[in-house]
Amino acid sequence: MDIPSLQAKLDEARYIYDDELVTTLLVALKLGRPLLIEGAAGVGKTEVAKVMAAALDRELVRLQCYEGLDESKALYEWNYQKQLLSIQVQMNRQDPDGLTRSLFSDEYLLQRPLLQSIRSEEPVVLLIDEIDKADEEFEAFLLELLSEMQVTIPEVGAIRARTIPFVVLTSNRTRPLSEALRRRCAYLYIQYPDLEKEVAIIRAKLPNANEHLAVQVAQAIRSLRESEAILKKPSIA
Amino acid sequence: MSAYLEKMAEFSALLRREGLSAGPQETADACEILSCLDLRQRGTVRTALQAVYAKSREEQAAFQRAFDGFFVSVEKRELLRRRHEEEAREFARRRDEAAQELQVGGQPMDLREDLQETYIRMSEEKREQLRRMLEKTKGNLERSPKLYGNFIRSVFMRFLLEQQMVMEDAAVGCEEADPDMALLYRDISQFKDADIPRAAALIAAVSRQLDAELSRQRRGGGHSGKLDFKRTIRKGLETGGSFYRLSYRHKRRRKRRLALLCDVSGSMLQFSEFALRFIKSMSELSEASQTFLFSEEVRPVDAFALQNMDAFREYVRSSGLYGRGTDLGSALEDLCRRRPAPLGPSTTLLILSDTKTIDLPRAAQAVLEAKRQAGKVLWLNPIPERKWAYVKSIQTMASLCQMAPCSTLDELARACGRMLK
Repeated sequence: MDIPSLQAKLDEARYIYDDELVTTLLVALKLGRPLLIEGAAGVGKTEVAKVMAAALDRELVRLQCYEGLDESKALYEWNYQKQLLSIQVQMNRQDPDGLTRSLFSDEYLLQRPLLQSIRSEEPVVLLIDEIDKADEEFEAFLLELLSEMQVTIPEVGAIRARTIPFVVLTSNRTRPLSEALRRRCAYLYIQYPDLEKEVAIIRAKLPNANEHLAVQVAQAIRSLRESEAILKKPSIA
Repeated sequence: MSAYLEKMAEFSALLRREGLSAGPQETADACEILSCLDLRQRGTVRTALQAVYAKSREEQAAFQRAFDGFFVSVEKRELLRRRHEEEAREFARRRDEAAQELQVGGQPMDLREDLQETYIRMSEEKREQLRRMLEKTKGNLERSPKLYGNFIRSVFMRFLLEQQMVMEDAAVGCEEADPDMALLYRDISQFKDADIPRAAALIAAVSRQLDAELSRQRRGGGHSGKLDFKRTIRKGLETGGSFYRLSYRHKRRRKRRLALLCDVSGSMLQFSEFALRFIKSMSELSEASQTFLFSEEVRPVDAFALQNMDAFREYVRSSGLYGRGTDLGSALEDLCRRRPAPLGPSTTLLILSDTKTIDLPRAAQAVLEAKRQAGKVLWLNPIPERKWAYVKSIQTMASLCQMAPCSTLDELARACGRMLK
């Protein structure tokens, strides 16, 4: 893939982009690196992942981060209820080792977004949204996946990716991310769009809107964003 | 590829000197990505390398400076060489001029080399100020060369130190690349009115980040403290009664009380309003703090006056504190006498001041008394740390309590972070 073909795909997805975004996307795709996108809330970070899924014709797998997120919600969990039922049913089985082995097989494994993204038959776009909301321990846990494209489940061992997902991480900069995580990613900072780009976005989203009105709205929003009194700046949406 | 590799390795070394973590992996990535790009497209190459090397907004500013300095066209390099030669000639000329001007009674003035260089680099207008002063004292100098010689030297030293502080403003270089980030490293006293909205937004962002980081650290890991039996048993029900995950009890943390004493006399007003804004925007501090302003006397200030910069300035002007001298000793004595007492064993007293006060011995005594009453006394000083050795009042106060430099928003953020950890 080169810049013109990536631009054509973004055009098809009706996404308004600038040169910096396209070049950074190309870098991430060519190097097979995750893309870390930072910026204020509402500048369109999550949208980049959605658009890339559409442009690359891949499924979007999303992991929404929050405080306390751990591997049982992000990677995998054993289906305890099913395991307990199975133990009850097969209690009189002659081969207890076989039963134990079977309890930790795919049948009892609940796949969460991270595992789902690397075990998919077709490559997907994996969106790890608002990584800054997750704990530092979770960030460290992600390192193996981001650098080796594999995860380790203690009962099963290392699981290598069947297909390589295109990973997009977003952050609102509510806390600095670790150096180790940053080093594994291509980096993009998205600012609020300038007037011209914002008018183009309005035109793309609302083709029937009056041109003059679109410019006036974009100007008004711009002045609101520049106001010191407004703490929560209006987003593009 | 090997030609790229050599060049990119040099560039990586340059970036490392700029503080970026550019290792062999980044160099290899840069070479790989360059092989896919049209190298005539300078903007594209710059963005692609930026994505590889710069991993934060702060690093982007440093990367752009390094890139513009490293990758220059032959024409531009020639132009830069010529400009550099011209500058070197101009510098040599000014040095000769300065050698003539920096004389007292026909003898070269005893000034440190860095101050002499500051004089050479100073604007003509500032040099003229010093020349006029020298001219005015010429008669006195002839009458009493030793006395006035020392006086002139001390005036020159002070003036040159001030100029050095202005010229060493760390952010000037990156202003063009990223004005917002540059503001973080610029001397707060140099902020202009036009910078205030950007600075306010930056303060909000930095304090939010610091707040989140601190609250995250406080929450602590799960495997510490006493075992919470009730929760562990309840969770165990999910796994058929076996205690698969253990829950722990954590001690509740008490927020410390804070008393803020801010100098709002003339030169300190700008710094105090930014510092107060910063401290007040941190939820960890704002909930349990009392703020006092002082110049010659001390006044408590309520939260409404600290809502925004205009309200704060209006309050300071109407309070009669603005434009008066600084008497830290009297202000601290007043604070210690107040009832109900704002200071106590669980209170941290935070003083925002440049230490310049009348009656230094009395102020030092008052600091000792405040230290006795309060659990801890911290001093945020807007004068850059490298100048502390030349200011007697700073040395005195720094020996009495913990002092942190806060000349820029970045330093202020770091000091607040350290204070709360």
